[in-house]
Amino acid sequence: MSSLLIVDDEPNVLSAIRRLCQNGAIAPPIPDPKIATFTSPHDALHYLGDHAVDIVISDYRMPQMDGAAFLALVRERHPDAARIIMSACSDIDGIVRAVNHAGIFRFVSKPWSDPDLKATILEVLAHRGLLLENRVLADEVRAQRNVILRQKIELERLERESPGITKVRWTEDGGVLLEE
Amino acid sequence: MTTIAPDDVQRPLTPDHETARSGGRITDLGWICALYELGQKAANGAHPQQVRQEILEHIVRGFDAESGSIALIVDGTVDQLELAAGTDLPIGLIGKPLPRGTGVFGHVVATGQPVLVNGDAAQTGLPLRASAERQRSTHSAMCWPLRVAERTIGAVAVNRAETSPRYTVDDLDQGQALTSLLALVMANHRMHVERDNRILELSTLNATMQRINGMLEDAQNQVIQSEKLASIGQMAAGVAHEINNPLAFALSNLGSLESYLSRLFDLLGAYIDADAALDDDNEALAAARRLRGEIDFAFLRRDTADLVAESRDGLLRVKRIVLDLRDFSRGGAEELWQAIDVHAALDRTLNIVRNELKYKAHIVRDYGALAEIECMPSRINQVFLNLLVNAGQSIGANGTITLSTGADRDEAWICVADTGCGIAPENLNRIFDPFFTTKPVGEGTGLGLSVSHSIVRKHGGRIDVESEIGRGTRFTVRLPLTQRASSATTAPTEVETSAA
Repeated sequence: MSSLLIVDDEPNVLSAIRRLCQNGAIAPPIPDPKIATFTSPHDALHYLGDHAVDIVISDYRMPQMDGAAFLALVRERHPDAARIIMSACSDIDGIVRAVNHAGIFRFVSKPWSDPDLKATILEVLAHRGLLLENRVLADEVRAQRNVILRQKIELERLERESPGITKVRWTEDGGVLLEE
Repeated sequence: MTTIAPDDVQRPLTPDHETARSGGRITDLGWICALYELGQKAANGAHPQQVRQEILEHIVRGFDAESGSIALIVDGTVDQLELAAGTDLPIGLIGKPLPRGTGVFGHVVATGQPVLVNGDAAQTGLPLRASAERQRSTHSAMCWPLRVAERTIGAVAVNRAETSPRYTVDDLDQGQALTSLLALVMANHRMHVERDNRILELSTLNATMQRINGMLEDAQNQVIQSEKLASIGQMAAGVAHEINNPLAFALSNLGSLESYLSRLFDLLGAYIDADAALDDDNEALAAARRLRGEIDFAFLRRDTADLVAESRDGLLRVKRIVLDLRDFSRGGAEELWQAIDVHAALDRTLNIVRNELKYKAHIVRDYGALAEIECMPSRINQVFLNLLVNAGQSIGANGTITLSTGADRDEAWICVADTGCGIAPENLNRIFDPFFTTKPVGEGTGLGLSVSHSIVRKHGGRIDVESEIGRGTRFTVRLPLTQRASSATTAPTEVETSAA
């Protein structure tokens, strides 16, 4: 399942993207999309309070709060949600701000091309999946390293108490060789 | 021959040393009248230099002198003298400034008192210059200040050679009265000269103003043109947002609709296939079959696809117009200036449009010797593309497009000539106006040439056009070979593919 949250002050844009994402006949299909749409960024933030989503797509120019500011808040509260900004105007300053402050993954200009938009969403999903997997693996490595570290500390303690105890030589039949 | 020129003062003398008798007779009324007449001559357009010389010669004669000179204070200074006239002087000295505060002239102008010099100039205590010492031939000289209304305007001097009697104090006094007259004449004369100069100045100024007026008119026309472009750019930026949003969902919905319809028709098709196997007696089935005939299902199915495709075509056209419009408002995106081979660029552009042109136009490439030019390559390619597409569109059935190039000094020229329909004379000065097009609705936005024009202008070049109805059109793009640092900072707006 992929969960998407879309914010645009134009309801028709929201329905169009919803139709597009849910329509498996337009390639590439998005697997099991779960879509939440909002015309107000505040409502969207409220929803995000108790829902986790994979991708947040936001329009840039909105009356209450612009898309860059909204996505910056999303990043702060849900750093794992991938962010895409859309815009109908080529406002370079706004895009720069979005990239720098909101750490967006992609910029999509309106009108978009249907297959391109879906491909972008899938790419961002895949990228996000890799990042998350990477983090899980990194955590595992760190955890294992901790186990190893604990064993090493114990060894060093034993060695301090009884020098040479960690460097025991064994005979072939299991006896311990003591050097006098 | 000896002369009191400013730097050559000879024997000085104060009145008590003098021995000779005056020989000058200057009481003649005719002489005075002649002096006035000379003063008037300047008013009649005589050369001022010449008039001054004539006045001086008149005075030299009047004082029975051998030689003389006049020095005038340069306008705007207090004591800078300039030699205005002289007899027995090298021509080159006239009009030359004299050293300040030296010589008899300097002394007379500084004190405002006349001086009589008889004998050795060194004994007068006058501030003489070294050259005066060398001058040994002796004589008598008088020098008077020229004063008008308490203001000294210069000085006049007359000299006698050794062979003549020396001047006396009486001569000096007598001359004083006459020189005030002379001062008036000179001042008058100067006024005439100034008036003439002013008239000349005014007429020059007038001519300059007319020229500047013409330039202003040209500049104003250019400003109007660029304001037109700028306001279109501003409007486009605002409108683009308003149009792009509805355009976005309409286009996307059309795609969804197409996909829905295709599946619905698939379903209907399946029902229709199944229909053949069904029982004829079913009443509902009979009604459905009747309806299918009435609504002409086969036509609806076929036409729906066309309908969606045509609608999408319309929306895509709107999208392209908005992109074209945005080019006017885009200032930020900058492309690097590069030195490129124009011929290679032309060939690449030709490859792009070859398909469009190959059935109706024979293309002749007549490339001259052309060095690389410094430009924004994709913008310049855009210009070539627009001109080639226009040339192709102007040709109805069969024609020739000739591409020629060359260089004049620091300028490259690229010429695109066609044998097409030509441009009507009344349209020639409008072709660069945004939205001006003679093409059928939907074929041109009227932006191609105005975009090309603004690209070339930003490169510091220009586009010339010659056209004859029925014979063809020739566009000549002229571009500087290199860009100065200043022009490189003004970035042309980004341009998308569009033909006028």
